[in-house]
Amino acid sequence: MAASKGAVVLKTVKKIVVKFCPFESSVRSTRDFLVLVGSEKARATNMNCEVITEVKHDRSEPVIDITFIDGEQLVMNGSNLTTQEMLSALQTRCVAKDPQAKAGGKK
Amino acid sequence: MEKNRREESSGGARTEKRCLPLAQSVRHGSKAVTRHRKPMHILKQKLLAVTEYIPPKPSAAPGAYPSQTKRMEQESGLVRFLKKKVETTFEECKMLVVVQNNATNAEDMLLLRHRLHKHDIAIKFFPNQVMRSYLPSSQYRNMLPLFIGQTVMFVSKEPKVKEMLRVLRSSPQMILLGGCIENTMLSREGILNYSRLPSITTVQGELVGGLTLMTSQTVSMLQRHPAHLSALLQQYIKQNQPGGTPESTAPETTPKTEGAAV
Repeated sequence: MAASKGAVVLKTVKKIVVKFCPFESSVRSTRDFLVLVGSEKARATNMNCEVITEVKHDRSEPVIDITFIDGEQLVMNGSNLTTQEMLSALQTRCVAKDPQAKAGGKK
Repeated sequence: MEKNRREESSGGARTEKRCLPLAQSVRHGSKAVTRHRKPMHILKQKLLAVTEYIPPKPSAAPGAYPSQTKRMEQESGLVRFLKKKVETTFEECKMLVVVQNNATNAEDMLLLRHRLHKHDIAIKFFPNQVMRSYLPSSQYRNMLPLFIGQTVMFVSKEPKVKEMLRVLRSSPQMILLGGCIENTMLSREGILNYSRLPSITTVQGELVGGLTLMTSQTVSMLQRHPAHLSALLQQYIKQNQPGGTPESTAPETTPKTEGAAV
């Protein structure tokens, strides 16, 4: 599932809030995204990053709210997105924000 | 036309009736009719390719392919065994809670298991496929959408919600999704509210107190007069202490009537 670009690197992320209603049918991708982001490897890349989950019961759509260190916010509505799309969106932004560290590491 | 094949003719125009122009440019080169197969111009090729006739495909005869509904996978023995286990678990346990775990490592899981075991709560892992094949046929079909991804079930015979919540709070990776407690489907908020309910004895006491409130009010209202009278008489006795005994017998009869009324 997380085959693209290896592990999730959260160095530039301050907080991730995932809200979903588990009785909806469109939450599968959001839940999988949560598993990937909340895994040990991802959390190990940044110990200060908080991953907060809110479980609601109001038939609302699943929403992922990511706050970066420089104040930018990325809000994703997960009902029609796949996990890979969400992951790639997050990773492109992470790489864009912190290019020198990543480029130095890759080279 | 032969006349077109003539080369550029310098010189005078003919004085015939049909006179050709002075200078004609003639294209040599390719002729339209050749003895070999002439390669088609690319534009003509494209046009023909685009406007090709595609005949409609005849669909398969009705009996040609085996019908798709017959293809049901044979349930393996393991799946059947797990299904039976699931059924017994559901029947036995009053409290079933579904929790999603985000990659808890083995030691955290062990600690969690240990803490929950103290309260007789068991952690069960069942594969989602088994759950999905079992649930729609039982009365718990509304729990079906909960079983997506990595889920763990906490089951117990006694609904010990408060202790379970306390244990879950210590491990941040376990996310409570919902559950079924005493045949009632509850969401996360429902489970939290359930945990805040007072115990049965408290509730019973409150109920009894509320019911007897009205009757006790009636009783006290009825007894107001005799109580007042007995209080007055007692005070009278105290005032006339060295007085006679008939006053002392009167307050004795009134407490007896009070006792009979109660």
